[in-house]
This record gives sequence, structure tokens and C-alpha cells, in this order.
Amino acid sequence: MAVDLGKMADLLIAGKVEDVSNMTQEAIDEGLKPQEILDKGLIAGMDVVGQRFKACEMFIPEVLRSAKAMSAGMDKLRPLLSESEAKAAGTFVIGTVKGDLHDIGKNLVGMMFEGAGFKVVNLGIDLDTQVFVDAVKEHKPDLLGMSALLTTTMPRMGEVINALKEAGIRDQVKVMVGGAPVTEEFAKEIGADIYGANAASSVDKGREAIGK
Amino acid sequence: MKSVMPDMQPMNQTVQETPQFRVLTEDQIEQIYFAALDVLERVGSRVHQDEALQLFRDSGEAVVSDDKRVRVPASLVERALKSYPRKITLQGRNGKRSVALQKDHVYFGTGSDLPFTYDRKTGERRRTTYKDVADAARIVDYLPNFDFFMSHGIVSDAPNPQTYDRHQFMAMLEGCTKPMVVTSVDGEGLEDLWKMACLFQGGEEEFRLSPLFVAYIEPISPLTNDRTAVEKLLFAAEKGIPAMYTPCPSSGATAPATIAGMLVQSLAETLLAIVLCYLKKPGMPLIMGGVTTVMDMRTTTYSYGAPELSLASAANTDISKWLNLIMFSTGGCSDSKCLDEQAAIESTLSLLTAYLSGANLVHDVGYIDSGVNASLESLVMNDDIIGMVRQVGKGVKTDEEYLALKIIDEVGPGGEYVTHDHTYEHWKEWFLPKLMDRSDWETWNNEGSKTMSDRVNAETQRILDTHEPQPIDDATKKALKEIIDAAEKRHSK
Repeated sequence: MAVDLGKMADLLIAGKVEDVSNMTQEAIDEGLKPQEILDKGLIAGMDVVGQRFKACEMFIPEVLRSAKAMSAGMDKLRPLLSESEAKAAGTFVIGTVKGDLHDIGKNLVGMMFEGAGFKVVNLGIDLDTQVFVDAVKEHKPDLLGMSALLTTTMPRMGEVINALKEAGIRDQVKVMVGGAPVTEEFAKEIGADIYGANAASSVDKGREAIGK
Repeated sequence: MKSVMPDMQPMNQTVQETPQFRVLTEDQIEQIYFAALDVLERVGSRVHQDEALQLFRDSGEAVVSDDKRVRVPASLVERALKSYPRKITLQGRNGKRSVALQKDHVYFGTGSDLPFTYDRKTGERRRTTYKDVADAARIVDYLPNFDFFMSHGIVSDAPNPQTYDRHQFMAMLEGCTKPMVVTSVDGEGLEDLWKMACLFQGGEEEFRLSPLFVAYIEPISPLTNDRTAVEKLLFAAEKGIPAMYTPCPSSGATAPATIAGMLVQSLAETLLAIVLCYLKKPGMPLIMGGVTTVMDMRTTTYSYGAPELSLASAANTDISKWLNLIMFSTGGCSDSKCLDEQAAIESTLSLLTAYLSGANLVHDVGYIDSGVNASLESLVMNDDIIGMVRQVGKGVKTDEEYLALKIIDEVGPGGEYVTHDHTYEHWKEWFLPKLMDRSDWETWNNEGSKTMSDRVNAETQRILDTHEPQPIDDATKKALKEIIDAAEKRHSK
């Protein structure tokens, strides 16, 4: 019996994490192409979730559940995708800068990126500048996200960007900054590429910046 | 190492399901009540209607003077008070028994008969028409937080001012399927509206079990009852139609300048109707009411936005509950000439207070310009305010599931709740705003920097463009028209 990718998309929309994970495995076992499972199952579902979220028909707890389902499916698929296919899905590294223990906003952004099919590396909170630099070297992400909730820790984001320049890897990655006190203007001032005003728009802007 | 959860079944608990709000103590209510009885025994109330005067005379207990003043002994008042039902459930033409009038059940609805309207196209202030009433009806039919409908505006383009009420009711019925509170020209007008309503309920007896409407009737403060008001009361008593006799005293002008004094007088006015309807025919649901507010001492305006309106109405509701009477109260209204910050502030204060007080029918929602101007936008804005107010009324649950000790334990320091099942299950209990903007600045800016009034306007237009109420079938429409035509014929002579 052929796996119904449309049904997989519906399960993903309904936030059925285990069902989506199992169905992805079934589809793989049946020999469906990983890219096809991704496009017609997982991404098709997340596209609907995105539309419904924008239309105020779905809300954060539901979206995150769907994102979790997406991520569970991606965990099965990622090892099977070709290098170019895996790269096409994108990698996102995110963390909160030194001196700032605020976690939830940054995590929300990370979860939304997972929902969009990205491989997300969540570095954590209160991070030294060097941790960001090392992570960019190690994971070669398309996007680096930094978060600060305090006006006192905001300048640290500029320091990370400068350190990336000094290490000669600034051009390898698009830098996104966000957090309640951060503005578009501030992002420009410190030389970031993208200002993420909220979790949902961060994903849209991030995708746009890297052409995905 | 995780420690073991504590036992979550304590003994000797008193749990508060909802917030508790009260203005008067029982002792204070008794003081006001005894004072009102005293007013009826010594001062009395003037009644300009012959049948009523005869009923008082025939009682052998009330005293009727030559100047039509009626004085009533406490014993008769107290006997009469025992004859009123403590509950009545209204049923809209949609067949839903959706408004259960009983102690501490709160329902919201519009006011009636506003003479003016801002034209939505031209922005000009003009007289209210049939179409305006039908539009308001559709808006209220759509808005989920409105439970009952009063006409909002007055139909000024009817063929004859003596029969406008039948046309107005028709506009209300066309647009709105919910229960109603209706105003009528006189007793004959009420009879026609009642006949129209009986077409939907399936006859007189069915109407009595599940009335479509409550008849709005008011005395003239201080202590005066005009002919048409009394006619309506007597007809309602005879047919068992629920009616409210709702004084509209303005403190400092037609009632004492103190809230307690105003409540004494307004209760005396209500109690006179309680006795009259009892003498006519015991048993009809008579609803206590009152738009109890102050006259503004700079402008002489009868204020719909004064905090005294809210306070006095809540106190009056305390009295109604003590008397076992259903209460008609006021909220969601404003003195502002347009839908602005003042309108929002005043509407919110009175809605919250009326809701917490536990009044049964909270009317005048959406009034602006001190009860002179109609505003569909105000109805739409108030719908969101009522949603917020009802949320406050939900109170705080403190059982095991709600204390969430297990969840706090699982998540631990530095964790997150947003993906937890507990959040997924409970966040839907929150109020979900339709018009309140909670977006971040960038999103708000990108979407056109819309203010509350921009959003209210857009939503009002959307409802007007899209909402079609359940239609009235042709046979009923024809029967309704026959009643209206017959009235026109009688009055054209």
C-alpha cells in the first residue's frame, strides 16, 4: 500500500509528531525519494501551517507542534538526502549573547526554523563571542541568529560580527539579530544582514536572505 | 534527584468559582428597601391611567387621592413581591433558549431608539432609518458576545409615528435571530408586537414559556406614571409578557443627588408597578431596572459615561437579587460624540462593573452621545470589550491540574512551557482578541499602522458586507405584514 503524502501533510498540520515520524519511515521503506517525501509531505504541510498562522487560524502552541512533527520527519530524512539536497534545506545556528540569560524568544525562533525544515543548532544562552565564531566555522550555517533581550547586552551582537570579520568568515553567513529592544536601525548599525522582529517573520526574512 | 510530589487533596477548603463583587451589605439593602416602602406609604406615586387607578381603589388597601396620587401600604407591596417568578428564559426566533434570566446570569445587548446616526458613507449626522436598525440587527446577530437585541436606532422613516414601532420590530426581526427587548408606542403597539412574536414562538402559551422578548417600559421620575406606560404594563400583566419597569432618574435633577436617595426613589417607582401588575393579574415576569445616573452639572446632560452610573447600577443589582427580581442594567455606553478614547474608557468601566455585579440584562451597549447617536462601530468595539470582561469573570481555578505543580517539576529551571502538552491544552481558555493589537512594532508598522478605530471600521464593514441572518420564511413574513398593515389602516382613519 502506497504511503499517502497528502495524509502525511494533514497529520503534520494536526501536530501528530509520532504519526508523521512513523509515516516518514514507512515512505522511506517503500522506496519513495527523500526529496519527494520532503516536498509533498512535510513541506506541503508546513506551508499550510504557515498560511493558517498568518490568517490567525492557528496559534503558536499548534504551530510548534507541527514544527516538531516536521523536525521529527526531517531527522529521518536528513541522512538520506544528497549533500546538495541537505544543504538546500539550510542550517541555522542560534544563541543568546554574553550576559543575557533569556532563552525563550531565541528558542521560539529556533523552533520556527526547524518547522521550516532547517537544521537548527541551538548554542544556548550567555555565550562568549568565541562560541559563535567557532560554531560558524564548525557548522558552516547559512544563517547565524543572535538574540538579546537587554539593552545592556545588545552591543555584544556587534562584537560577534566584528569577531567574524576578524576571523575572515563574515561573508560565509548571513547574520540575523532580534530581541525586544533590537530595531531595524540597530541591526544596520552593527552590520547585521537581517532584523528579525518576531519568530514567524524571522523565518520569512531568513529564507529570503539566503534565497530559499 | 527528584523529590516526591506533595499530596494535593487538602481538607476544609472554600473555593471561589468566580470573583465576588458587591456594593451593598444586606443591612444597607434593607435600609433602602424600608425607605422605599415609606415613600410609597407617605409620598406615593402619581398614576395617569384610569384602569390602574380603579385597580388601586378596588384593592381596598391602596389610597388614591384626587390628584391621582396612589399610596400603598407595605403589606400589599410585600404580598405583591411574592408573586413574581425568579427566572424566565428568552428564546430568539432562531429557536435557541439562549438567555436564561436568573440570579447572577449576565447577558449583554444594545439600547434602543437612538434618533441619530452617522452615515457611514457621508460621515454626516442624520436621522436613523429602517435600514440602520436592520443593519444594527445584523451586526448584533453576528457578534458572539451580544446576547439580546434592542433596536439601537429609532425608525424615523416609517409612514406614521403612531405605528413606527411595528416597522421597527420588523427591521429587528429581519436582521437578528436573537432574543430581544422591545419598545412600543402604547398598549396597542405592544399588543401588535406581541402578536408578531407569537407567530415565531407558536402561539400565546408557547410565548409565555419561552418569550421572544421583554417589553421595555419606563416611568417618569420622580414618581410619575404616564398613560401609555401604564397601558403597556397592564397589557403585559394580562398576557404574561415579561416586562421591565425601568426608572431613568437623573441624580441631582429628577432624583436626590445621593446614590442611596436615588435608589430609594427608583425602588419606590418599581414597587408601584409591582403592586399594579399584581392587582391586574399575578404571575407575569416583571423585571426590575434602572438607568441610574447623574445629571452633568456643567452641561445638564443625562450622563451615560459617569462612574456613578456604574456604581449605582451595581448597587441596584444587589437590591434586585435581595428582592428575588430579575435585573435590567446598563453598560457599554458613552457620552462621547464619536467612537474615540473616551467612548472606549467609559464603555469598559460600565461593562466590567455591570458584569461583576451579576445583573441579568446589561443594555445600552454601543450608545454614544449620551443616548442620542447610534454607532455600529461602537457595537463592534464593545464586542471585544465584553469578551475581555467575561474573561475576568472566569476567576482562577486552583485544583491540581491548574496548580500545575507536576508541570513546573517537569520543565524545571531555565526550561520552556510553550511546547508542553499542558500549554497546548490550556491556552485555549484564554481570551482571544479580535480587535486588540498585540503585534510587534515592525509588523504593526508594515501592516499600515492601523489604530483601533481603523480596525473597528474595517470589521464593521466586513460584517455588513458578509453577514446574512437566517431568513424569515415567506408565510411568516406575510403574517407579520398583515399585522403591520392592519395597524396602518386603523391609524390612517
